[in-house]
Amino acid sequence: MKKNTVGSGLLLLFVAGAIGYGLGLGFDALINGAPNFSGSTSAAFALLFAVSAFFFGLYGYRGITRGLVWQVVGTLAGGLFISGIRALMGYKFSEIFGSFFFSEPAWVFGALVGVISFLSGVGVMDDWMKWVRGIDTHDHHEDEPGWEKYFSVSLDHKVIGIQYTVTALVLISVGGLFALIFRTELAYSQLQFLTTTFKLFNQNGPQIYNSLMSLHGMIMIVSILLGVSGIINYVVPLLIGAHDMAFPRMNAFAYWIAVPASVLLLMSLVLGGFDTGWTGYPPLSARAPVGVQMFFLGVFTAGWSSILGALNVIATVIRMRAKGMNAMRMPIFVWAAIATSIIALTATQLIGLSFQLVMFQRLFGMGFFDPAKGGNPVLFQHLFWFYSHPAVYVFVLPGLGIISELLPVFARKPLFGYRWIAMSSLGIALVGFVVWAHHMFTSGMNEYLRVPFMYSTMLVAIPTGVKFFSWVATLWKGKIETPTPMLFVLGAIFVFLLGGITGPPNAMVALDLHLHDTYWVVGHFHDTIFGGFVFPFFASIYYWYPKATGRRMNEFWGKVHFWLMTPSFLILTFGMMYIGLLGMRRRIVDYDAALGFDPTHLVMTICAFGIALSVLIFFINFFHSMKNGEKAEGNVWNSRSPEWQVPSPMPAHNYEVPFEVVGEPYDYGLPGSKYVQFITPTKKK
Amino acid sequence: MTHKHDKSSAFSQGVLIFVYLAVLTAVEFFVAVKLNSIQIMLLIALVKAGLVMYYYMHIYKLNTSDEGDEHSYSFKSGTNRIGLWMFLLSDSFVFGGLLVMRFNLLGLTRPHLDQNLGLLVTAVLLISSFFMNRAETSIEHGDRKGFVTNIIITLILGIGFLLGVVAVEWPRAIEEGITASSNTVGAAFFMMTGMHAFHVLTGVIFLLIVLRNGAKGLYDKHSYPVEAAAVYWHFVDLVWIFFYPALYLIGVVAG
Repeated sequence: MKKNTVGSGLLLLFVAGAIGYGLGLGFDALINGAPNFSGSTSAAFALLFAVSAFFFGLYGYRGITRGLVWQVVGTLAGGLFISGIRALMGYKFSEIFGSFFFSEPAWVFGALVGVISFLSGVGVMDDWMKWVRGIDTHDHHEDEPGWEKYFSVSLDHKVIGIQYTVTALVLISVGGLFALIFRTELAYSQLQFLTTTFKLFNQNGPQIYNSLMSLHGMIMIVSILLGVSGIINYVVPLLIGAHDMAFPRMNAFAYWIAVPASVLLLMSLVLGGFDTGWTGYPPLSARAPVGVQMFFLGVFTAGWSSILGALNVIATVIRMRAKGMNAMRMPIFVWAAIATSIIALTATQLIGLSFQLVMFQRLFGMGFFDPAKGGNPVLFQHLFWFYSHPAVYVFVLPGLGIISELLPVFARKPLFGYRWIAMSSLGIALVGFVVWAHHMFTSGMNEYLRVPFMYSTMLVAIPTGVKFFSWVATLWKGKIETPTPMLFVLGAIFVFLLGGITGPPNAMVALDLHLHDTYWVVGHFHDTIFGGFVFPFFASIYYWYPKATGRRMNEFWGKVHFWLMTPSFLILTFGMMYIGLLGMRRRIVDYDAALGFDPTHLVMTICAFGIALSVLIFFINFFHSMKNGEKAEGNVWNSRSPEWQVPSPMPAHNYEVPFEVVGEPYDYGLPGSKYVQFITPTKKK
Repeated sequence: MTHKHDKSSAFSQGVLIFVYLAVLTAVEFFVAVKLNSIQIMLLIALVKAGLVMYYYMHIYKLNTSDEGDEHSYSFKSGTNRIGLWMFLLSDSFVFGGLLVMRFNLLGLTRPHLDQNLGLLVTAVLLISSFFMNRAETSIEHGDRKGFVTNIIITLILGIGFLLGVVAVEWPRAIEEGITASSNTVGAAFFMMTGMHAFHVLTGVIFLLIVLRNGAKGLYDKHSYPVEAAAVYWHFVDLVWIFFYPALYLIGVVAG
């Protein structure tokens, strides 16, 4: 029965995709006189129809399917509404409909209406609407059993955590697929298949390269934000002994708003794409096709997901800790979650604002960043990097928290310097607010800003160094066990170290003038993000998988995943840094064969496929183990943490008996020490 | 907790704070006309913001810790209060970003706007905060009728502010040649007033909901929603405390 649903989903995916494509061709023929087989309209319709139909086949008309259908309808209705107004205003037919079907204002308004329609369609705002009408709702909703609860609104933080994680994994594969496509093109100099005669979505090959390269960046960033939220959502309430997050409905809202955001990001590819890179600097982004508007809106909505999620995390940790869990007895991952949430809560508004200003510049001709009207393009970069630099700490702080959380479990030793680690997370977050302009040393900003930002940037190395010192000291003379999660933790430490020590050269103004916009920088940040997020993310999935499912992931294939991914990844980034130092520029589709980079690029492409293969192995392991994994219902890792003291999978309302914190969290190996004690019910009532 | 002050002393405190705010606004205006000192104007704005945050928005309530059970109304309200304040913190980064944008693009110049109208809408918003405070105090003391009267006055003043900005100020600015697409002066003016007006609009909707449910008696016992609406409304006022000098008072008129 269940196999049939996936099958019918896939069948409908192709059928509806074809219908949407045909419909788009028809519109094209209607508006432009001839069908455009590589056109955007047909692709946009095909995408919207196919995604909705897939979920219809899988799940029926409810939950996510209803949301997606409403989004399609809402987008069309909003677009037609603006088109109608423009028609009344006396615009000509060719100005109302153009090569992207709707005109730009109609697409923007339609996309906005589409997002709101999705949220109403999926039903995540139902309870709020009842509150508006003065009707009370129950605190606990019963979820459907089995896999079906993951496709509609649930208020359970564990379900939402898994929804986030799986969505993040889906987006990681989409972003990775984009990377594989342009990595293949880069394997040799000259243009191989993304040539100027190649046509797709109204773009030629190099333009497609630019769109994919830009979207690879932003889709990966969104997937990281979702992955971070996933782990935090699942784990933080369990670690602090809460029965749920502080605001369950807002938690669900924050997740579900990320789904239409992802659809918008994908729509930017089919609506002409954009060639600005993920940073979207004007003036280039002020001139790009309408796709850039979808990109801005997608980031804006995903940003709301991040802000509301962060708000929820902070409120939960402040209000819902177990008895006796004072600040210095919180698990270290909770400290990391707090630090990351402080950044996400506040700074995210600035990327939203900066993108909004460009959107308005495009829509209403407001000259914020247009020098011809007295605007200042460098202002955009300041607003943008005020978020986008701290954002990297949003990505890595939870990862570093996971390293600190898991290391003592597998080293069987107390965590070295608990207070220092906790404070270093906050330190990184706070210093992170005052380093943004190091991205702009070559941008033409005021020169006197360079040196202070150089020093503040190098200051970040101090709290990070504290963490490394503590990790090494924790490992020192430990009884180290190396199951898969620990392998990924050790890999994370090593890779993040590489990312860390390649950072200060970029912070030096003198060196950065040479390194700016080269593959060196690309190598550096892939090291930090893999070490700070991807490795710990996989570690936490392997570690908490038994908690969520009651089964373990296959240990052998987990080790294959690790031993294939790590060397591939290291060779890939070493290659990037090597040719970067020799002068390979970022973000270009082609390079001169005379530079001699061909062999390195070829090796890097092979390694990229190695990573992709390892992640594929992970996916198969992930889904296969749900049914067939080794049963693991007890304390698999012999951890002191409260969530492992109760059987797996976790009961619906978490701890049936509340616990009390009676000791230090990480005193592994000390005889007689205890972290939590379950409060035996007293005969009060 | 809510009955710490009796009703009349809470009312008279509201009046006193309103008088302080009104006098400070008048002083600010004269500082702008006579001295044109940004430092003094900033100081006055900060004092006004502090008064609003403490006496109207009751920021000190964040620190009360007298809740009992985790499922009790007062505990949940305490959590909601933390959530609301964090949302406001987040939102203030938007307005902060807009101020950065304004000072980066315009420096010490300002758009050529009607000073009387600016002072008028500012006064209207300030008075609306005063009545909002009265509405909140009324419902906390179980006076539903007083709540309804005061919140209707707040709503009228709020809508008056909205119309004053969008329906009077905007067309006048356009007549003066300040349009969104003409130059950065217009762009900054419309962006800042537009973003603020959007927040006033959401506040008006929030107040309408609270009025409807409050009139039905839903908040007689549990009045947190009114408090939330009030805090949000005062926050919108708080933003205008900074936007008003930034748009109307600081520097010289852009040529």
